[in-house]
Amino acid sequence: MTTSPDILTSSGWFGKSSAGLLLGFTLALGLSSLFALLAGVDDSYLGATGQIAMWLMAPIWSGVLAFCFLFRSGARAWGWLGLANLIAWTGYVVARLIIG
Amino acid sequence: MRTDIVRTYKDIHSWVGIISGLALFIAFYAGAITMFEGPLQRWASPPPSLAAPPSLTDTPSLIAKVLAAHPEAAKGYRVHMRTGPENPARISWTTGNRREPGATYYAALDADGGLQVSMQGPSPVARFIDVLHQQVGLPFSHGVAMSIMGAIALLYAVALVSGVICLLPSLIKDLFALRLGKNLKRMWLDVHNVLGLFSLPFHIVMALTSVVFAFHDQFYDAQDAVAAIGRPAAAHPREAHVAPTSGRILAPAEIARRFEAQMPDFRIQTIEYRTSGPAGTSVRVTGDDPRYGMRGPGFTFAGVDPHSGAIIEDDYLPGRQNGWFATVSSFFALHFGSFGGTPVRWAYFFLGLAGAFLFYSGNLLWIESRRRKERKAGAVEQTRATRVLASLTLGVSLGCVIGISLTIAAAKWLPEAWSDKAAWHGRIYYASFLIAVGWAMLRGAPRASAELLWGAAIATAIIPLTSLAGAMGAPAVWNHADASMLLDLVAMFGAAGMGAMAIAARRRSMSVPRDSAWARAGAVRKNGKGAVARSSAS
Repeated sequence: MTTSPDILTSSGWFGKSSAGLLLGFTLALGLSSLFALLAGVDDSYLGATGQIAMWLMAPIWSGVLAFCFLFRSGARAWGWLGLANLIAWTGYVVARLIIG
Repeated sequence: MRTDIVRTYKDIHSWVGIISGLALFIAFYAGAITMFEGPLQRWASPPPSLAAPPSLTDTPSLIAKVLAAHPEAAKGYRVHMRTGPENPARISWTTGNRREPGATYYAALDADGGLQVSMQGPSPVARFIDVLHQQVGLPFSHGVAMSIMGAIALLYAVALVSGVICLLPSLIKDLFALRLGKNLKRMWLDVHNVLGLFSLPFHIVMALTSVVFAFHDQFYDAQDAVAAIGRPAAAHPREAHVAPTSGRILAPAEIARRFEAQMPDFRIQTIEYRTSGPAGTSVRVTGDDPRYGMRGPGFTFAGVDPHSGAIIEDDYLPGRQNGWFATVSSFFALHFGSFGGTPVRWAYFFLGLAGAFLFYSGNLLWIESRRRKERKAGAVEQTRATRVLASLTLGVSLGCVIGISLTIAAAKWLPEAWSDKAAWHGRIYYASFLIAVGWAMLRGAPRASAELLWGAAIATAIIPLTSLAGAMGAPAVWNHADASMLLDLVAMFGAAGMGAMAIAARRRSMSVPRDSAWARAGAVRKNGKGAVARSSAS
């Protein structure tokens, strides 16, 4: 992004923030579910790793929402965050297939 | 840092700040007070009307009489190790269930050994302020208020990141500069930056934990739904499974003795006996250990075998947690300030007040920047939107201060016969809050700033004055001769500080340029040009 001559403005805020809000949530869900799977969360969500997996949602979601304004446009935000989601969820599916 | 990034984030910072700032002010001011929820509850609670509590060894006879007269108490009753105004009886039990608790009853034995049962508990005012803090001051149902709070918490996280990005380019230059002087906007900005940056770790903790507190049910549901995809539905074992032992149920004194033998530094607060269905009786011990962070705002808990006194559930027990549980506890402890004992409580109290001031100063900066932009666009007067926002900022923040002070003071005046004291605390708070907001709107920010600050100073001074009235013999007003009197002292300092701010605000409203949001109609400069020339220096 730094090599681009484009100037960042706050005008595309709606596209960017909606991407951050929605895709940030699904990204947090995918990554925290992957964590839960790898950390071996059992059914009981009173377990500690299950709680940590839940807590992980907050920093990921808020982080994406806060930094999504660095994308040059709303469309790019949706594209890049969509790609990040695809990678996270592919990771989750693969882990589920391997671990079961 | 590229200037366009800084400019973009400056826009974002001002907008998320202005949307969430006032709600955050209430959350932080009320939250700072909850740091002393215990002392406040003691200060505000009348002397117990029940007979003095029996000793721990004599408690079993009280329990037997309670269970004979009130069989529903067998579902769950608490034995309080420390009693006092804030904990008026040795035994208490609450009807309803954990999600929707009903009335709480307190029991004691009179001089002849007869059972006394009372519904007169500790004052609900501390709890009211705690809920006000959790719900950012919104009088809605818990579910609705919590989702709005969650949205505010997300905006707060964005405001933190964007604020830091705005500050980064001039960090070295601005950090240790506090330019007090003629340029008021510069001074406010310096104060805002210094407060924001030095309390940044505290604010990051608060933002992230608040997002979790608002949305944990939704997060769990979403994660459960993901984990359930393609799996047969399984029953969730929600409670820890421990093979039931049999034998005599140990009395509270014996539970305490055996527990303390296992955990010598743990100070037990309550022992709770629960009986439900086939699981039989379970015992839960709550208490604190100041050497560790705690899962609850002032306590943590453990499960104890009712027959042997052995600790069987130590997930949240200080010093016996594994790394995962200690991590989970630390998240809660960092939000509640329930670590490190009293010094951390005071630190959190001041960090909370500083946080409230951070949002207040943020709103003032927004108003000042708008004035500059509007003046560049040729406006001589404030636009209506800016005036309304200036009035709202004053009305909401000072209305919150006035409402909290008055409702705390009212705890000692509300007649004992009024059973719905909690509702009265709500009425007093919201009535004062709405009057303050209305006053700010009607009078306009320049006049209202000094007036409402005086109002806040007087309302806060009523707290120690109430105690003074009690000391001078006012009927039905009590004082407890102990550390809770510190509350009167803190309120006195608070009132003095607000009075000083009121004097400063009045002086300022007389001397600012006419196009400022803080200018009085009566303080007009000679002409519009003069105002512009003057204000460009400010």
